[in-house]
Amino acid sequence: MRRLIVVLAVIAALGGLFAWGLLRGRPDRNISSNLIGKRVPDFEMPLHRRYWQEYGETFSLASYLGKPLVVNFWASWCTPCFREAPVLEALWKQYQDRVLFVGIQTQDRGKTAAGESFLERFSLSFPNGIDDNSRIGVEYGLFGVPETFFIRADGTLAYKQIGELTPQVLQQQLEALLR
Amino acid sequence: MIASRRLLTLLASLLLIGALAQQVQLERQVFDIGRKLRCPVCVSESVADSAAQIAVEMRDIIQQQLQEGRSEKEILAFFQERYGDWILLDPPKRGLHLLVWILPVVAAVAGAALLAVFVRRWLRSSGAALEVDEADLERVREALDRESP
Amino acid sequence: MGELSLGQLGSASVLLALALAGYGAVAGILGALRRDARLQTSARLAALATFLAMTAALAVMEAALLTDDFSVLYVAQHSRIASPLWVKLVTMWAALEGSILLWGWLLSAYTALLAITAPNHALRPWALAILATVEVFFSGVVATIANPFRVLPNPPLDGPGPNPLLQNHWMMAVHPVLLYLGFVGLTVPFAYAMSALITRRPGVEWMSQTRTWTLTGWGFLSAGIVAGGWWSYEVLGWGGYWAWDPVENVSFLPWLTATAFIHSVQVQERRRMLKAWNVFLITLTFALSILGTFLIRSGIISSVHAFGDGPVGPVFLGFFILVMVGAFSLIALRWDQVRDNAELDAFVSREGSFLAGNILFLALAFAVLLGTLFPLIVEALSGNKVTVGAPFFDQVSLPIWMLIFALMGIGPLLPWRKAEEQSLLRNLAWLGGGALLSALLAYLLGVRKIYPLLTITLAGYNLVSLALLITGVVIPRMRLSKRSAAAILGRYAFESRRRFGSMVVHFGVIVVALGVAGSSGYRIDEQVRIDLGSSASFQGYELRAVDRFMEQTPQRISAGAVIEVWRAGRRITTLRPRLNLFGQNQQTIPTPAVLYTPRHDLYLSIAGALDPDTNFVVLRVVQSPLITWIWLGGILVVLGTAYALSPQSLRAGRRREQEGRVQA
Repeated sequence: MRRLIVVLAVIAALGGLFAWGLLRGRPDRNISSNLIGKRVPDFEMPLHRRYWQEYGETFSLASYLGKPLVVNFWASWCTPCFREAPVLEALWKQYQDRVLFVGIQTQDRGKTAAGESFLERFSLSFPNGIDDNSRIGVEYGLFGVPETFFIRADGTLAYKQIGELTPQVLQQQLEALLR
Repeated sequence: MIASRRLLTLLASLLLIGALAQQVQLERQVFDIGRKLRCPVCVSESVADSAAQIAVEMRDIIQQQLQEGRSEKEILAFFQERYGDWILLDPPKRGLHLLVWILPVVAAVAGAALLAVFVRRWLRSSGAALEVDEADLERVREALDRESP
Repeated sequence: MGELSLGQLGSASVLLALALAGYGAVAGILGALRRDARLQTSARLAALATFLAMTAALAVMEAALLTDDFSVLYVAQHSRIASPLWVKLVTMWAALEGSILLWGWLLSAYTALLAITAPNHALRPWALAILATVEVFFSGVVATIANPFRVLPNPPLDGPGPNPLLQNHWMMAVHPVLLYLGFVGLTVPFAYAMSALITRRPGVEWMSQTRTWTLTGWGFLSAGIVAGGWWSYEVLGWGGYWAWDPVENVSFLPWLTATAFIHSVQVQERRRMLKAWNVFLITLTFALSILGTFLIRSGIISSVHAFGDGPVGPVFLGFFILVMVGAFSLIALRWDQVRDNAELDAFVSREGSFLAGNILFLALAFAVLLGTLFPLIVEALSGNKVTVGAPFFDQVSLPIWMLIFALMGIGPLLPWRKAEEQSLLRNLAWLGGGALLSALLAYLLGVRKIYPLLTITLAGYNLVSLALLITGVVIPRMRLSKRSAAAILGRYAFESRRRFGSMVVHFGVIVVALGVAGSSGYRIDEQVRIDLGSSASFQGYELRAVDRFMEQTPQRISAGAVIEVWRAGRRITTLRPRLNLFGQNQQTIPTPAVLYTPRHDLYLSIAGALDPDTNFVVLRVVQSPLITWIWLGGILVVLGTAYALSPQSLRAGRRREQEGRVQA
């Protein structure tokens, strides 16, 4: 009898573990960033041609600190990015005096032209650059696209959004940055 | 004259072979370290095995850092800082994670110990009368009946 | 067909199968309880009818796939008009609902076969009832929550096609079926074990009646695992065959416990010991296979192979818990009958070696299970995400494999009950000599890494063991009958199929072990960039990138490179690795090109993308020594198993019985 109780206890523990696993949903895609609270890595990247007039040919993160930043990673083949782009553009227009939006085309080696059509399609007016060899992505611990990093004025990471942004979440995080 | 030219050629080829060998050695090291890292965008491939762009870039980073003279530990730590413990294919050997390393050993030792206990018990009881299955007894009786004329 | 659509027909068939299985279970249980022969016969007929109904469902699904009937939900979700015929056929099990249907069909086939061929014995009614109950579960899932036959009111014009990884290779037609035949095959001894407990017959009968089924299931499972490894090798593009991916582990776990089982049943057969242990082992095997299907289909563990989430997860979890609780309660209830009043004459004996082997296999199974579940456990306890990958599993499993490998050599040489000291020492001397010689040979050939060295040493030791076994059989008979050694060996092989088959299987294991040691220990992995028209050298080969090519079939668009492989000035072959795009799917799937030779494989795969604007190609080149030995060894294992199972003519069987009596 005692042995049976032990066995049943083990089964219950396993069952509980799996039930918990089922309840929490898909694994892995919600790994919180290791950078939260820390100073984000500086980077330099070439900008897309359409932004050269206003922002120059190269974008250097260090020179734009002092203001809150929203850094959005996307790729030309990424379907959720298509849905996210108009959301970003709309809120950019609203917040552009207070927060700088920067887009980074990553995991898209050699696809500069495809990136330009993406930007054209969604008429994105905030600066977008090219991370041709995905190096910046690695520096930021990127798991996939789209991912968006919300950086405070002092350069520390406040929040990382994995997956596409909804208007509500974006607004919420922007307000948090400005507080 | 000819001798010194031959010597020069020999020297040059040795240097070339040395460089090639070093290059091959470097690549092998890149793959060895890559095999310890998980590809972030794949489902369960290592950085060494994956063909994804980010994996290719990570291998380049590894190569660069190896050439700068960083050690394997430092390179693994570099990625761990950016991606968390998850990026390591081997869970870090501290805290809760030690369990995955210790428990199998504990289980093996416990299994062996249990076996020893049972074996000793069974060795002792041998010498006592054999216990026979009812079915076996039946079969023996049947066979005996068949055999006897 | 009038108004009846294929979808409706399929749903009806599965519902019918469910009803018949339910009836079979109820009639079987009642018939067993009341020992009512009519009810039992009725249950057996129900098993046949269930099989027919499931076959109908299967046929309907294949028909829907082959005729591109997109009004059927499963076809709309997973098939595509442009797919070739064979892809449409295998799409049946390419996704979740279809795979459950396949499992249910195979189970109904096994149950029907058992209903017809099983000896009329007290164990049969309960065993069939239990199998029918399991069938109720599987057909129930297909009929209700995972119904692939649901009818779409607005069928799409075309579908996305199956997962690109699954249409790339013909192995898709073979590997899942082999695996399922294995899992389902092992359900039969489980049902008999439960039946033995219920009917209070915990002796050897349940094992001897299911011996064929157990070995067949094990054989199919082994074949399925090796086939899966070869398929990964040919399709995934990284030149490996086993990644300790959760889904791979989950098919490996029941294999480990089943291997322990097929050895420890022999101890029960000979010495009437380990009754409880054997029941426990087969229950564990069955539970692990259910756990496996749960983990794959619930989405809680991510993997290349995982089918994804859905309502199926909780149901499989519930079934798993039910099976475990039910079976273990039954064991506890009958504990007095199965508890061992065992006795051992000596630990150094055949029994002892089987016991030690059991512990090793179970320790390995525990380590693999722990590693697979560990990320889940850590996340549940601390919220952190960790990965447990190949390095962990390799480090933990290799020492255990070495011990198992060592045991495999000495075990068959030990007699039952007690090893006699002189012959034991003599055998050990031979084995030691073989080991030393192999170690020396390996060292001289340049093998310096510890595990390959150890594997080769133990391989030599095992070959000597097999030689000793064979000479131990042949030489005494030569003295008795004055025939040639070859004739004696031939006759022995013909008559003692079980023993000879197991020798072949063990030999196959040696071959596989050497293949694994070579391919993982001395694999050479490089990324090579070759400009079109020029060449690069790799390990004595010259790889010439001759051209690029594009090809388009209705199924896919592919871009690849034509690489000529030269060695010592002679062109050996031309390899065409390529990248494929299937249908609307954005994922590029590589098709590597492999040059197979007995000594090593030359494996080419396109790394990254193939840019039409550039004139070079980047290849991943892998040389794996002895990797072909893994597949060959796997084939030997399967052949050995089949041979051990092959039926003998009645005359030969009777003669063996007489001889056996004389020798005893």
